[in-house]
Amino acid sequence: MSNQIEIKNLNVSIADKPILKDFSLELPRGEVHALMGPNGTGKSTLAKVIAGHEDYEVESGEILVDGTNILGMEPDEIGRLGVFLAFQYPMEIPGVTIANFIRAALQARQEEGENFDAPAYYRELYDKMDLLKMDRKFTSRSINEGFSGGEKKRCEILQMAMLNPTYGIMDETDSGLDIDALKIVSNGVNLMRNENRGILVITHYQRLLDYIIPDKVHVMWDGKIVKTGDKELAKELEAKGYNWVKNELAVA
Amino acid sequence: MPIGPIGDNGLFDQFIASHSGENAWIEKRRKAAWNQFHELPMPRKKDESWRFASRLAFEFNDFKLVEQPDATTIGKVVERSNLNSSALARLVFADNYLVHEDPLSMDLQTKGVVFESFDQAVQKHGGLLEQYLFREEAHLGSEKFVALNTALSNCGGVVYVPKGVVVDQPLLVYHWATKENVAVFPHTLIIAEEGASVNVIDVYQSLDSDAPAFCAASGNIYAEANAQVMRKCVQNWNQSTISFQNDATAVKKDGVTKTLAVNLGSKRARFENQVRMAEPGSHATLYSLTVAQGDQEFDQRTYQSHDAPNAVSDLLYKNALLDNSRTIFSGMINVAKDAQHTDAYQTNRNLLLSPEADANSLPGLEIQANDVKCSHGATTGQLDPDELFYMMQRGIHKRTAQQLMVFGFFEEVIEKFDNEEIKNNVRELVQSKFHL
Amino acid sequence: MSEQAIMTEEETVTTIDTEKGNFSYDTNYEYDAGIGLNEDVINYIVDVKDEDDWVRNFRLKALNVFNRKDMPTHWATKDLENIDFDVIRYYLSKGQTPSRSWDDVPDEVKETFERLGIPEQERKFLAGVEAQFDSEASYSRMKEDLEKEGVIFVGSTEGLKEHPEIFRKFFGKVIPTNDNKFAALNSAVFSGGSFIYVPPGVKVSQPLQAYFRINAENFGQFERTLIIADEGAELTYMEGCTAPKFETATLHSAVVELVALKNAKIQYITVQNWSNNVFNLVTKRAIAEEGAEVKWIDCNIGSRLTMKYPGVVLNGEGARGEVLSIALANDGQHQDTGAKMIHRANNTSSNIISKSISIGEGRSTYRGQVHIPDHLKNCKNNTECDALLINTNSRTDTFPAITVRGDGNSVQHEASVSKVSAEQIFYMMQRGLSEGEAMSLSVNGFVNDLVKYFPMEYSVELKRLIDLEMEGSVG
Repeated sequence: MSNQIEIKNLNVSIADKPILKDFSLELPRGEVHALMGPNGTGKSTLAKVIAGHEDYEVESGEILVDGTNILGMEPDEIGRLGVFLAFQYPMEIPGVTIANFIRAALQARQEEGENFDAPAYYRELYDKMDLLKMDRKFTSRSINEGFSGGEKKRCEILQMAMLNPTYGIMDETDSGLDIDALKIVSNGVNLMRNENRGILVITHYQRLLDYIIPDKVHVMWDGKIVKTGDKELAKELEAKGYNWVKNELAVA
Repeated sequence: MPIGPIGDNGLFDQFIASHSGENAWIEKRRKAAWNQFHELPMPRKKDESWRFASRLAFEFNDFKLVEQPDATTIGKVVERSNLNSSALARLVFADNYLVHEDPLSMDLQTKGVVFESFDQAVQKHGGLLEQYLFREEAHLGSEKFVALNTALSNCGGVVYVPKGVVVDQPLLVYHWATKENVAVFPHTLIIAEEGASVNVIDVYQSLDSDAPAFCAASGNIYAEANAQVMRKCVQNWNQSTISFQNDATAVKKDGVTKTLAVNLGSKRARFENQVRMAEPGSHATLYSLTVAQGDQEFDQRTYQSHDAPNAVSDLLYKNALLDNSRTIFSGMINVAKDAQHTDAYQTNRNLLLSPEADANSLPGLEIQANDVKCSHGATTGQLDPDELFYMMQRGIHKRTAQQLMVFGFFEEVIEKFDNEEIKNNVRELVQSKFHL
Repeated sequence: MSEQAIMTEEETVTTIDTEKGNFSYDTNYEYDAGIGLNEDVINYIVDVKDEDDWVRNFRLKALNVFNRKDMPTHWATKDLENIDFDVIRYYLSKGQTPSRSWDDVPDEVKETFERLGIPEQERKFLAGVEAQFDSEASYSRMKEDLEKEGVIFVGSTEGLKEHPEIFRKFFGKVIPTNDNKFAALNSAVFSGGSFIYVPPGVKVSQPLQAYFRINAENFGQFERTLIIADEGAELTYMEGCTAPKFETATLHSAVVELVALKNAKIQYITVQNWSNNVFNLVTKRAIAEEGAEVKWIDCNIGSRLTMKYPGVVLNGEGARGEVLSIALANDGQHQDTGAKMIHRANNTSSNIISKSISIGEGRSTYRGQVHIPDHLKNCKNNTECDALLINTNSRTDTFPAITVRGDGNSVQHEASVSKVSAEQIFYMMQRGLSEGEAMSLSVNGFVNDLVKYFPMEYSVELKRLIDLEMEGSVG
């Protein structure tokens, strides 16, 4: 199957310490999957590895994006291939405004010699900012510099909306958000749900899944997925806690 | 004007003879300076004020005063003297000669505003200038070069703005070197009387991309009570030029000065900038951005002298280093005993874009008053790999991402320019130095 | 609150310990090299100490270097010119062999150290103690179990005699004689100081302590300390110093060399409380080999002029160096202190935190040097200097020098100057504290984030010293 991200038997370590152990997952376009698990179980590592971060050593396995193996590709190539990572801790980049940044990202996706339609770009940018309830003055501010936690996360969603990726990986997008910000961010994600886009929501808490209803829920433990179910699984997990999974594993 | 090597006594005598129209006090100062120039030894590496600088290896007599450029050359340099189209008036100097002048409007002239070439100004306003011209003593190490400038300078813009007059658009001065081995001695003097306001831009540029040249420039700013002075310098000599620039600013009660330096050119450039907070409530900002590439060496020495209470000074020097280039930043904040409630800051940030580049930082504080807010910070580092990853994740090519980050690094300084056209021109100049 | 009320309250503050070190005994010295410095003095020292010829040559060469070198007044204070090398006595002792028991220590020396609380501290928390009285150690003792593990902790006079093979291998290698004028002086006339060797893998859990006491007037103390932590070894060394206040200036010029071999850890703690007529001109440097860690904790409370810039040469991959320093400069004092971090291997990191407090006409100066050359990768330095000025006539200077090249190297330096805010003091006084107490509390707050890295006994001592210095500094 080619219209999906397919992760097969992935083994990843940092400084010789194994983090992902024989990890497998399929995320088809048109679906929203949630990946849940306690801290330190390898969720963020997975996000960084998919995005091609050089600090992680992939020992074996494959990551196919629409059939293309992306392991070994540069982060920007993976980005242009249609994989968007919403960072858990978005970077602050002094002196680079949001408007210039997104523009540079869009231009990087254009063919050589293609003209950039600046007025259309700004129209779209402002529309999407309105949708995310972001003040227009943000466009001329440096990316994430001095932003509150909620503003940073909204800025991530704005970029995702503008770059129109095939796959969105949301790494703990809910962390540090109050309930209003959480609604705005979730609403943004929901508006981007369609049959041509797959979204992986990585989260520690069930709370976010009240707003973004997943098609599937995966529970991660010690470097791999140990349980998969529908949205009810998330609720069960919330009620029983992660120790429940741990105990079940111990029994099995 | 005489022609010949600049270390030569005969040349100086001819220079004095050809400037016989100058007031006696100027001649006296020039002669004293000439003696001082000869008496002072060449700075050595072991001098504390030349710490980290590489040895000065040149002979003064390798450089000379030359004859006036020809009409074709003049045409070229005037056409290219275009950093800012909204300038109210413009002076263009080439090889120490005034080659073009767009004078001030009659209106401003009637109000008493002076914007003239050094030669004209000392002839016409000698009495007025006596208490300002050649008055600042250098003490950051370049005394020899300042003396040389005093002895031989006869070009540069002299600006005088009378009490309460506001000159709201920039006055533009271009300094060109057009001939091989030419020595130029620009001297800028800006006097803003009480409540006056003025904005001056100096651009230093070479016509030929690799003809060697020598420059010893000086700039003095006097901001009287409540005056506001903004001065921008764009130093863009070719990379065969050796340049020294020595600026001194004095700020009086509630006066405000802002100096902005863009340093791009020269083989080696020494830039000294001292600001004296002479009276209470004075406010000075000193910004600088430098792009060093190839074998360039930029040597920056600054001194923020707080002589009076309740004054504010803020310095931000940013350097990006490519290839084998070197930078030295040595800054000092001195707070005198009675200068209570001083607010003084000094920041130096160096961005190393090559493992062979060499950034040196000597930030300093000398504080003798206790109720002050003073701090300095110096950082040296590379582009942050996490920021780079973040940008690349958005699909931006590595080189574009690096370039954006470098520009982001400079934007903090560039945004201090108050004019969009100048901002864009400066961005373009900076960009032209990168082969990212 | 009226000024009168403040004064009264202040006077009632206990003054019991301010003058703790300010006493001296008339002592008959068996050995005295006389006044002034020349080759005869050096030969006298060599003879009474019964040293080998190589030491004699080393000393004589050093005297030459000392005579040749100029005073560093082109960057340092002119106050150095007030040192009169011709009126100083360079060697004074009652004998060259320290006692192993306090009972055998001569009475007035024993009483001196008892008044300073040394035997009590030894019982409480120390693994070993050396007590130096003028030129030589009077007492030296280490716990027996450490001796069994092969740890050596003796005076350097003894170390040079008993363990020449280790001593000579490292002596003068970290700080060469010609490093600076005062290192040369020390190399010429050194006597006393500690010699420590900790064998591979041995971790000395309790601190080893040395106490340096100047008793005689017109005397120069020139102890020489050499500490070697072999591979994987660990130790903490603490030194304290006091002197009585004489009419004339006293000179203390030590050289301290530390060698931390692969994966070793050395922590060196100083609480310097010389009386404020002592010129304290000390050279301290460490070499840290692969994976080793050296931490200097340096508190300068006393002396007239201190010039001291502990350094770490980060010689092996992954080595770490740290200098944490606190300086307190009161009237008539100049604390000119700082740190040097010389990076010589990849992935080395260094950290400098310096806090200074200037009171009255006191002056504190920070000088730093951080050097990362171009062939190195991933080296990091962080420097923070904070100065607190108490009175309007206090003074502080900061002069760091930073050179960075290479790949992935980064440094940051920050310095700030502040004062104790009047509102803060008012707030505390409203709660019933005296102005002096409020000031003490503020100053302790200022150094607190640094003091928390100190061993408990020393942080208590430091707090006490700060309290004492702050008394009478207000108003």
